[in-house]
Amino acid sequence: MKCEWVQENIMLYIYNELADDARYELEQHLGRCTDCAAELKASRKFHGTISQFPVDEPTPNLLAASRMRLQEALETTQQGGFWHRFVFDPAAWFHQIRFSPALAAVIFIIGFAGGIGATYKIVSGNPGIKETTAQPVQSSITGIRSISQDTGNNQISIKYDTVSTQEAQGSLNDQRIQQLLLFAARNNYNSGVRMDSVDLLTQQPNDTHVREALMYALRYDSNPGVRLKALDGLGPYVKNDVRVRDAVLEALVNDSNPGVRTEALRLLEPVRADSSVRLVLKKLAESDQNQYIRSQARTALAQLPEID
Amino acid sequence: MARGSGSQDPTTRGHMAGQSLGRIDDTVLVREAQRGNHAAFEELVRHYDQAVLRLAMHLTGSDTEAQDIYQDAFLKAYKSVGNFRFECSFYTWIYRIVTNLCLDHLRKRQVRKEDAPVAVDAQGEQYDVLDQVPDGRAASNPERDLMARELGSRINRALEKLTPRERMVFELKHYHGLKLRTVGEILNTTEETAKNTLFRATQKLRGALADMR
Repeated sequence: MKCEWVQENIMLYIYNELADDARYELEQHLGRCTDCAAELKASRKFHGTISQFPVDEPTPNLLAASRMRLQEALETTQQGGFWHRFVFDPAAWFHQIRFSPALAAVIFIIGFAGGIGATYKIVSGNPGIKETTAQPVQSSITGIRSISQDTGNNQISIKYDTVSTQEAQGSLNDQRIQQLLLFAARNNYNSGVRMDSVDLLTQQPNDTHVREALMYALRYDSNPGVRLKALDGLGPYVKNDVRVRDAVLEALVNDSNPGVRTEALRLLEPVRADSSVRLVLKKLAESDQNQYIRSQARTALAQLPEID
Repeated sequence: MARGSGSQDPTTRGHMAGQSLGRIDDTVLVREAQRGNHAAFEELVRHYDQAVLRLAMHLTGSDTEAQDIYQDAFLKAYKSVGNFRFECSFYTWIYRIVTNLCLDHLRKRQVRKEDAPVAVDAQGEQYDVLDQVPDGRAASNPERDLMARELGSRINRALEKLTPRERMVFELKHYHGLKLRTVGEILNTTEETAKNTLFRATQKLRGALADMR
């Protein structure tokens, strides 16, 4: 074995990347050659110097913030690739029929005939088609004026503005009422109305849209009371819904209100063993500015079993 | 795949072993994600996102840029998980996406480097002015802390001088403890090329840090 080969492979030896036979031969050579032994010593020292600076782990805050940002982006992102084969692509379809004049002519004739038929039906006054009455379209709502619930008959009454103020009535299961409540929870300028809508929505957190609205309120509502209400509604889902857990963790780390943070800490009790929760607790126990949160985090950590 | 080598520190070894265990159920999760199961994809993200963020942070030196790479990598993975054909592990695949984004970032930074705020020290060597901005955190031993910071800064500057590909191979081998065979798979090259690149990287680093030995 030549010294040149040894010196080229000495770092691979240190990184445990040599095959067993090459490793054996290199070790034999090192025993005989003082130059190569000195090279090994120097290489080990270099490795030691570089290893003095291990890569920092991302802080729990950074990791939680990155996860949140990703989750928000994923909600509005469509999966591509494999599924695209099953999706109807009109552009590609027209590209194909562009070269089939006969088929294109047939489609044109069918379309033309269908159009005439439909027009005839409308003109003759089909009673099946009628104007929808005051269905609240989100883009047409300018604000929610008030929300009230009758204690006796479970009816909810919502006054909302479009161009002029309108009123909708129905139960919590009514889709129109749910739509307005979700709108109020996210968009209203009046925190009292937001509080009422979040309060009502907490009665139906099983619905995905409702849960999302509650998470939105917890993250972005400027009123701590509304955030606390949203926390109450999300509480039962901390254990099974990772996104809810992350929203509550984010509130625990970042919320400006100590009351909200304390409540978030309490809600996380059943999932304290989760690695992300543990990481956050550790960080809070070490350096949180709020003494109560710091001591509560320490207590929670002390009750957890040690993990290597 | 990524078994810890004998020369790694115990924390890295534990981290990698944990990842190996996590990969057992990756196949199931990937199949679920391919069927459009959002939660399955999020679970996959959780298996690897800490390592991804760690790699991006060390390569970019910036939390914000690391977050951008993290975001781009997982969104890209989400959009193309339907095309994943199990020809390699999901772990290799996600690392391939991340390393490509990081390599692009490093290449762009090399181009921008001419505009970086550099100055010349007493030995006539260039240094990044931003490296000299004092760290506001309290230190228990200021003298040792100063020396450590100087050494850390020298290592960073030496790493910056590597080509993007050399930097990536060194990063994945030294700091992430991956086998060179895996590094080759991730970078779409052979184990032999990864070995040669590691050799060149360590030679350059040793040269740059020669006076510290």
